[in-house]
Amino acid sequence: AFVHIVMISCYTSLVIFFIPWAAMHDAVRSDGKDVADYQSFALLTQTSLLIVVSAQMFLDTNYWTAINQFFLWGSLAVYISVTFTFLSNGLFFMFTSSFPFIGAARNCLQQSNVWLTIFLTCLLSILPTVAYRFLLIQLNPTISDKVRYKAKEEGQPTPAPYRPPARRVSTRRSSYAFSHSRGYGNLVTSRKFLRLRKPSSLFNRKEAANLCKQLIFCRI
Amino acid sequence: MLASSYKDEDGHISVSGSGAAAAAGGGSLRNKKPENTAFKQQRLPAWQPILTAGTVLPAFFIIGLIFIPIGIGLYVTSNNIKEIEIDYTGVDMSSPCFNCSQNFSWNSTKSCTCSIPFQLDQPYESNVFMYYGLSNFYQNHRRYVKSRDDSQLNGNEESLRSPSKECEPYARHDNKPIAPCGAIANSMFNDTLELFYNDPNGTKVQVPLTATEIAWWTDKHVKFRNPGGEGSDLAAAFQGTTKPVNWRRPVYELDSDPNNNGFINEDFIVWMRTAALPTFRKLYRIIQRRNNLLPTLPRGNYTLEVVYNYPVRSFEGRKRMILSTISWMGGKNPFLGIAYITVGSICFLLGIVLLIIHHKYGNRNNGADVSH
Repeated sequence: AFVHIVMISCYTSLVIFFIPWAAMHDAVRSDGKDVADYQSFALLTQTSLLIVVSAQMFLDTNYWTAINQFFLWGSLAVYISVTFTFLSNGLFFMFTSSFPFIGAARNCLQQSNVWLTIFLTCLLSILPTVAYRFLLIQLNPTISDKVRYKAKEEGQPTPAPYRPPARRVSTRRSSYAFSHSRGYGNLVTSRKFLRLRKPSSLFNRKEAANLCKQLIFCRI
Repeated sequence: MLASSYKDEDGHISVSGSGAAAAAGGGSLRNKKPENTAFKQQRLPAWQPILTAGTVLPAFFIIGLIFIPIGIGLYVTSNNIKEIEIDYTGVDMSSPCFNCSQNFSWNSTKSCTCSIPFQLDQPYESNVFMYYGLSNFYQNHRRYVKSRDDSQLNGNEESLRSPSKECEPYARHDNKPIAPCGAIANSMFNDTLELFYNDPNGTKVQVPLTATEIAWWTDKHVKFRNPGGEGSDLAAAFQGTTKPVNWRRPVYELDSDPNNNGFINEDFIVWMRTAALPTFRKLYRIIQRRNNLLPTLPRGNYTLEVVYNYPVRSFEGRKRMILSTISWMGGKNPFLGIAYITVGSICFLLGIVLLIIHHKYGNRNNGADVSH
């Protein structure tokens, strides 16, 4: 896995540098002025790097909650705003030597060949990862992949319909079984299971249905 | 592709039917438990990108189908751009500029001129842009790039008198501060290039060249300012400073037009925008189009007259003059078109390969070895 990551990193670094290098070789803006200068090249490489990293995170995140969305899109938005702030007139006038990149974003990011280069770089960097993972799923599916595939084929499982239990087939389960699920700590340690009791006084029917929904191997 | 997995809503098992012991224990514990909200119990609705065949394969095909026309468009546009490069370094003995390149010395007052004839096979329409290009000139060397004082170039009086130490050793000369200081300014390109059209009936017509609008607007109006404010006498404003060591004229004599003199001289600004690669071109002049009927540069014989001031032989550099038309994607650069076509076709082929693999081997997902 380490070698795999090293290979992907090398490949991505080469792509992120050499595609802008080749695209900027003797390139000019659409109004003839320079775009192959140091600051525009740096900005181009930096922007494509950010987008590639965000895309990799998108592929790697397993559970996309609202928080993840906020932080990922937020980081891209912060990058854009920070770039334009650092390259704005105001900061240049305040701290002249520290922010010499003034105007680079406005002039460079307007050009369509810059955006086309960014798009190409990002796609070329992500393509191997996507293809590799897809191949893995096809050729070597893990059990979770297979389960997911089957679940997709059968559709979402509907919540177990509530049926009144026709017969009490031993609703008593050992405390060992219960202790494997969350929330039963109190129940298990409450000594209810030590004595034989009539099942109807132990659970009411609603609780029985609830419990059986959680336990995969419950047959009611 | 989506698998919404709602995390289980287990809540707490209500033990209301239980004995008193549990209720009492639960009462004191309840203060320390986090609230039963979706955020704190990690029950937020979640989403997971899954690479299924239904998403990945169409995506590959669509990307392939989008990229190939874009690539073809870029390549065709790039091919339609007309460009001519003329190397005038004077390396061979047969070159007209050979004598100038050999006899260079820093304090020669007589400037050396040479003229190079060339011809255009096609007429150039619309605005034609004239660039000077340098090779093997590393404007991206780190100490070189840092060797400037941006506050001095912004017209700051204090920095004018005492340049920053980044400019060393080009900060002071003869006990006076150098304006503009630094190695970048010191090595400014100072050849003069002029273009003449040889009429079919023998006369030499000078092609009019525009020297404004060649630098970025933000550079000219925001980043570079002359000391002393607008409209002041530049020679007085620069009193007490001296010109850079390798310049022939001081900075307030760069141009007779007061809007193009001093630090806001556009040639100077263009030079100060350091290039990223060792082979670069910078905009020198623009040949404006005359009217829509006549081409800007008709085909025929031309002469390039060079006032050869800039020495490049010592570091094996090369100088050239480039005439080029411009399109929406910039100058002539076939790389982007070719790259798009290549990546598009690779994507398409990869999509086909993955489709074949999916058909042959994808049924392993249906294997009966999934335990319930």
